[in-house]
Amino acid sequence: MTDANLSVVRKFIRPQSGDSWATIAERELPKLKTEEGVSSLQSWNLHVYMRAPAPEGSPRAGNPILPSDVIFIEPPMAAA
Amino acid sequence: MYDLIIRNGTVVDGSGLPGYQADVAVKGNRIAKIGKIAETADKEVDASGKIVAPGFIDPHTHFDAQLLWDGAAKPALSHGVTTIVPGNCSLSLAPLKADHRMRLVGMFNQIEEMPYKAFREGVVWDWETFSEYITRIRKGLAINVAPLVGHSVIRLWVMNDAATERTATDAEIAEMQDVLRECLDAGAAGLSTSYVDMDETLQPVPSRYADAREVEALAAVLGEYGRMLQIVPEFYDPDLTIARLDQLAELSIKYQIPTTFSPLFVNSDNVDAVDRVMNRVDEQFTRGARVWPQVQTRPIDISFSFAVPSLLFIRYPNWYRIMRFGTPEEIKAHFADPENRKARAAEVADANGLWEKLVLRQVKTEANQKYVGQTLAGIAADRGVTPVEAMIDISVEEDLEAHFLAADMGHNDDEKVVRLLKHPRVHIGASDGGAHILSFSTYGDTGYLFAHFVRDLKTMRLEDAVKKITSDTASIWGIPERGLLRAGYIADITVFDARTVDRGVEKFVQDVPGDGSRYVRDSHGVDTVIVGGGIAWSAKGGYQEARGAVLPGEAADRPQLVAAE
Repeated sequence: MTDANLSVVRKFIRPQSGDSWATIAERELPKLKTEEGVSSLQSWNLHVYMRAPAPEGSPRAGNPILPSDVIFIEPPMAAA
Repeated sequence: MYDLIIRNGTVVDGSGLPGYQADVAVKGNRIAKIGKIAETADKEVDASGKIVAPGFIDPHTHFDAQLLWDGAAKPALSHGVTTIVPGNCSLSLAPLKADHRMRLVGMFNQIEEMPYKAFREGVVWDWETFSEYITRIRKGLAINVAPLVGHSVIRLWVMNDAATERTATDAEIAEMQDVLRECLDAGAAGLSTSYVDMDETLQPVPSRYADAREVEALAAVLGEYGRMLQIVPEFYDPDLTIARLDQLAELSIKYQIPTTFSPLFVNSDNVDAVDRVMNRVDEQFTRGARVWPQVQTRPIDISFSFAVPSLLFIRYPNWYRIMRFGTPEEIKAHFADPENRKARAAEVADANGLWEKLVLRQVKTEANQKYVGQTLAGIAADRGVTPVEAMIDISVEEDLEAHFLAADMGHNDDEKVVRLLKHPRVHIGASDGGAHILSFSTYGDTGYLFAHFVRDLKTMRLEDAVKKITSDTASIWGIPERGLLRAGYIADITVFDARTVDRGVEKFVQDVPGDGSRYVRDSHGVDTVIVGGGIAWSAKGGYQEARGAVLPGEAADRPQLVAAE
């Protein structure tokens, strides 16, 4: 959201096709090593990280990220 | 000569203006006159001492299945609700190919707790398209229905099994747009989607596999018709809710559509959350977006037994798994095993005192009758075990038919809730009527609104409460000629006694096809409910005429708007 009338809220992205934790970390958190970026993303996105795994054989197996997900790329903001 | 006259009532017309004494005359399906009426009518209703209001509109229900065997959406109609919106949360029963029926039944079972047997014994599957479904439910319809079409269902229709595997191709998105147009042409009030729901295998529902461009393409079609987009956001987290409402706002502005998200709860564990969300709602409305949060009136109560999987256990995977996938024998054997009993008790030990407060509300055996009405803390003390152990033991002793109540689990801070309910940018709704039928009663929210917030706490004007659930709702959803008492408007009218209106106590009844049960509440203080000019229900006569309509309906059915003078 870039509208000047909107207050600042926590930054997020929507996954791109084929995204994994690593690809999002490399794209959105380029200053961090990939492993550190992945670890940060996972800790900021427990709603995705803690999701029940997809069954074996599923195209989603091993990657909990859904195309509709909101992925935060920064930690929660401090209370005002 | 009129068909119906309601005499001597106080007309609270849905505008929010003060009520006034007047008679209301109905001719055909429309209000003919409001004022002193000397003429007579075939039928007359004495509303002395009572309120005459527009029929209530419930914008968040899941009556999709129930409407196939019950055109009155009982008991919603008896609570004064004259219009319901089913098809929320990405789930509708059309369009639906024959091959997909059992998948959708599984989703309705998982998400709405509608038993498989109810579909087997209560449903004749004689439709596939949305238009055919509308034709099907029109038979015997006693309540008005403004149905949403579910995004998950459209995805299934177009993508089959791939609906829960991947994003859609450009060609598939174009086909979904065409299907949505067909549904809107056939009378759908809008589209619903979900970001939280899981199917019967506990995997995300099809709508959750959609990327942003798919949702945007569907929103563009809604823009062609000016219809509603409803979503279920990750309501347990304010940051996620704000992210979703920002997405809605962009779509609302770009395609000039109304949008709504539900539910929004007052969370006692995070009291500032709702203020943060509402601040964002205000900012987005200021930009020109329409992002209506839906707020329910009632506190959160959950009833359950071990016989069916309960929402209460969804945070505890081992509990939920055995309840969801185990047979009754397997569940009993699991909890009768001392090792499992110990492990399950330990798993839920950290629940902020929840178990102690649970009340045993119903058992089968004589031996446990003495505990009915007691908290698990009391029962545990009597038995010399922990509250969770007492719950497990009694459930096993009762063949899983011990029923417990977790009352007032949230959304029970009256001061904060009423502030929300009165907020001009809050949409009263989220009743979930017809859903979660084995967890709580989703009926009587309007009675609770009048009894608790208007009459008992005196924190809301009666006229404002009526406006919130009538003309506001009709305006938000673009439902013409309803929601107000005006000469020329459709005669959807609820007559109730403001001194006694309320919801009854929650009770467990067996009235679902296939010997199924559900929790319901009777209405109190509602006298007469008129739909399309006919008496659909009255306290004296019960269910009567069936004049329900599908809204907005096919183009030919829609009322012609007349320009104001």
